[in-house]
Amino acid sequence: MNRIFILTPLIVLLVICIFSLVYLLSGKDPNKPPSALLNKDVPIFESSSLYNSKDIIKTKDIKNKKTLINFFASWCTPCKIEHPLFFEIRKKYPELYLLGFNHKDPSSDAKKYLEDDGNPYDFVGVDSDGLIALEFGVFGLPETYLINEDGKIIYKFMGPLTMDILKNEIEPLL
Amino acid sequence: MSSLVGFLSLVIAIGINFYLFLSRYIFRFQKQKFNLFIRFSSLLTLLSFFSLMYAYVVSDFSNYNVFQNSHSNKPLIYKISGTWGNHEGSMLLWLSILSIFSFFFSFTKNIDESFQRLTLIIQSLLHILFGLFIVFTSNPFLVNSILVNEGLGLNPILQDPGLAVHPPILYGGYVGYSIVFSIAIAGLFQNTDDEWLYVAKKWSLISWTFLTGGIALGSYWAYYELGWGGWWFWDPVENISLMPWIAGLALVHSLMMVRGEQAIKKWIVFLSILCFSLSVFGTFLVRSGILTSVHSFAADASRGIFILLIFFIVTGFGFLVFLLKEPKKSNALNLLFINKVSALVINNILMIIATLTILLGTIYPIIIEVLYNKRISVGGPYFNLTVIPIMIPGFLLMSIAPILSWQTNKINNSKKYVLAFIVLSVLVLIQSYFLDFNTWGFVGLLLGFWIILASTIAIFSSYKIKINIKFLKIINPHVAHIGVGIAIIGITCSSVFQNELDFNLNEGDKFIVNGKTVLFEKIETTNEINFQSLRGKFLFDIEKNQSKEIEAGKNYYPVSKMITSEAGILHQWNKDIYFILGDQKNNEWFVKVLINPFVSFIWLGVIIMMYSGLIAVSRR
Repeated sequence: MNRIFILTPLIVLLVICIFSLVYLLSGKDPNKPPSALLNKDVPIFESSSLYNSKDIIKTKDIKNKKTLINFFASWCTPCKIEHPLFFEIRKKYPELYLLGFNHKDPSSDAKKYLEDDGNPYDFVGVDSDGLIALEFGVFGLPETYLINEDGKIIYKFMGPLTMDILKNEIEPLL
Repeated sequence: MSSLVGFLSLVIAIGINFYLFLSRYIFRFQKQKFNLFIRFSSLLTLLSFFSLMYAYVVSDFSNYNVFQNSHSNKPLIYKISGTWGNHEGSMLLWLSILSIFSFFFSFTKNIDESFQRLTLIIQSLLHILFGLFIVFTSNPFLVNSILVNEGLGLNPILQDPGLAVHPPILYGGYVGYSIVFSIAIAGLFQNTDDEWLYVAKKWSLISWTFLTGGIALGSYWAYYELGWGGWWFWDPVENISLMPWIAGLALVHSLMMVRGEQAIKKWIVFLSILCFSLSVFGTFLVRSGILTSVHSFAADASRGIFILLIFFIVTGFGFLVFLLKEPKKSNALNLLFINKVSALVINNILMIIATLTILLGTIYPIIIEVLYNKRISVGGPYFNLTVIPIMIPGFLLMSIAPILSWQTNKINNSKKYVLAFIVLSVLVLIQSYFLDFNTWGFVGLLLGFWIILASTIAIFSSYKIKINIKFLKIINPHVAHIGVGIAIIGITCSSVFQNELDFNLNEGDKFIVNGKTVLFEKIETTNEINFQSLRGKFLFDIEKNQSKEIEAGKNYYPVSKMITSEAGILHQWNKDIYFILGDQKNNEWFVKVLINPFVSFIWLGVIIMMYSGLIAVSRR
C-alpha cells in the first residue's frame, strides 16, 4: 500500500512527460489551434457586397475556384499590418479568388479603410452581425482560410499573415 | 569581446561542476578545496551573466541576442532588464541564481561535512544539466552574422519597472527550491539524523518569500499594465507559479511541526522534491511554447524536448530516490482530534489537493489536444469553482491553528474565541445585508476578519507585549496569518464587489464616478524616447480644490509596432479607481471606469507575509 502511494508521483510524472513529448513532437503550434473545420466543406453563407447591397455572394459562387477568405475590420490593428500582403498575393496569384469579410464594422468605416489602404479583394462581403464569422469559427481578427476547388477548407491561419507564413505554408497549397 | 568572456566563463563553470560531480567517485579532495571550487564556479557563472548584461548596457549588437532584444534608444534600466527579458538571457539568470544559492550554501556552518558536500554535488548536477541546456539550445553569446548598428527592441510590454525586477525575484523562489531539493535528496542518501530538516527549513522559507514577492510583482504588473482591471486571471503562467507556491507553503508548515516523526519526514521529502519539480515543470511549460503567454518568447521544439528531459531526469531521480531510500524509522505522528499536528496535517492535505487541482486544470488542455486534436481552454470558472472551496476549510483551520496545543486537545481561552466569532459573524452578516448580499462576499469577509481577529486575540492573550526580535519571532506565525486575513479581505472585496462604469465622452465632458464629479480634460499625445504616448487626462473630484489628476491611455512602440495600454489608477486606501481609455468613435472616446474596493489590502497582506518569511529566516 505504502509502495503504491510512493509510486504514484512517478506514474504521474511519466504520464505528464509522455503527453508533453507527444505534443512537442507533433509540431503543434499554440498559435494555430486545430480547426474542426479543416478538410470539411466551407460553411454555407450568404453576404451582400460592401459597395452594392444587391450584389450577393453565396457559398456556391466560390465553387470550382481556389479562394482565400480573410476576415478583417477597420478597427483591427493587426489587420492593417497584414493588409499589404494581399496585394502581393493578388499580383503573384491572379487566379486566386480573394474574398474579404468585413466583420462588425460600420460600412462607412470599412469603405474609408479600403480607400486609404487600398482594396485587394475581389469581393468584400459584409458580416456586420458577425454571423458568418460564427459559422467559420473565427476566434479573433484577422483570420484567413484557404478553400480548394471542391469547396473544402484546406488551411486556416489565426492572426496577421506574414511573408514567412505565406511562403512556407500557403504557397505550397496553391 | 564581452560575449567571448561570457561564453568561456559559462563553459568553464560547467566544467568545474562536472569535475566536482566526479569528485564523489574519482578525485576526492578536502572540504576546503571543494568549497573553493564551488564558489569559484559560482563566480564564473555570475561573470558570464554580467558579461551579457554589459553587452546589453553598451548595446553591443555584434551579439545576436542583444541585437534581437535591445535597442540603443532604450532607457538604461530596460537595457539592464533586457538581459533577462528574453529566453536565452533568462535561462542564464536561472543558472546564475542556482550558482548564488550553491555559493551561500557552501558557507553553512554546523552541519555534517559529507552531507553538505553531497548537497552541493547534487546542485552541481543541476548546474551541469541547465548549463548544457543553455550552451546547446539557448546560447545568449552567439555572434551576429550581419553587421548592424541598431537592434530590434525589447517587447514593449516588458518595459516596466515592476517587470524589470519580477524575473530575478521569481527565479529566486523557483531556483531556491533547487537547494531544498538537493538537501532532501542528500538527506535520503545519507539517512543521518534530523539536522538536515532545520537546514531545509531556512532555505525553503527563503525560497517561499522570494516566490511570494515574484508572484505579487507579476500580479501587480498585470493589474496596471494589461488594463483589464483585474490582478489574477488564472492564466497558465500564473497557475504554474502558484503550484510551487502552495506546495512550498505546505512544506514550510510541515517543517514547523516536525518533531522527529517518520511520517512527516517522508512527507517533507516528498514536498521538497515536488516544489522543485513543479518549478522545473513550470519552466518547461513556459519555455517550450506549449503555453502561450507574454513569457513564451520563442517556441522551439528542441528546447522544449531538452527541458522536458531535464524535468524528467530531475523529478524521476528525486522520486526514485524517495522510493528506494525511505527515511529511517522513528516516532509515530501525534495525531489527536484537534491539536496543532492534526490541524497542520489537514491543511497540508488541502494544499496538496489544491495544487493537484491546479495542475490538472493546467495540463488538461494538453492531454485533450493530444488525444482528440481539439483545443479547449480551462480558465477562471474552473479554478474559482474548485480551488477556492478547497482552500476555505484550510483558512478556517488556519485561524485557530496557532492557539491549538501540540500535545492535547485543549484549546486555550476557547470561550473568548467562540464569543468573538459569534459577534463577528453577526456584524459581517449585518454589513453584508445592508450592502448587496453575496454568498462568496460574506464567506470571504467573515474568513478574512476572523483570521485577523483570532490571530490578534492570540497575540494579546498569550504573550506579554515586548518590542524585540525574540518577541517578533514568537508572534511571527500569528502575524503571517494576519497578512493572509488582510489579503483575503482584499481579494474578496476587489473581485466580488467590483463595480464597472462605461462612458462615451468628448473632451471637456463631466461625469459622475462614485458620487464624485470627474472632468475629462483633454487628450494629449507626446513623443517619448522610444514610444509615442496618447493620454486622456481626467480630473477627479473637481468640486474640491485638491482635485486629483489621472492619466489613462496607450503607448505605441514604433520599433516593435506594438500598442500597450496604460491604465490610470487613483489609489485610495479603501479602493482603487481604475480608468481605461478605449477607442475613439464618432469623436467620442470610450472610457471604462472600474471601482476596485480594497485592492491595496492584497498587496499589504502579501508584504506582511513576506515580512514574516524574513523574520522566520532570521536567526534567533
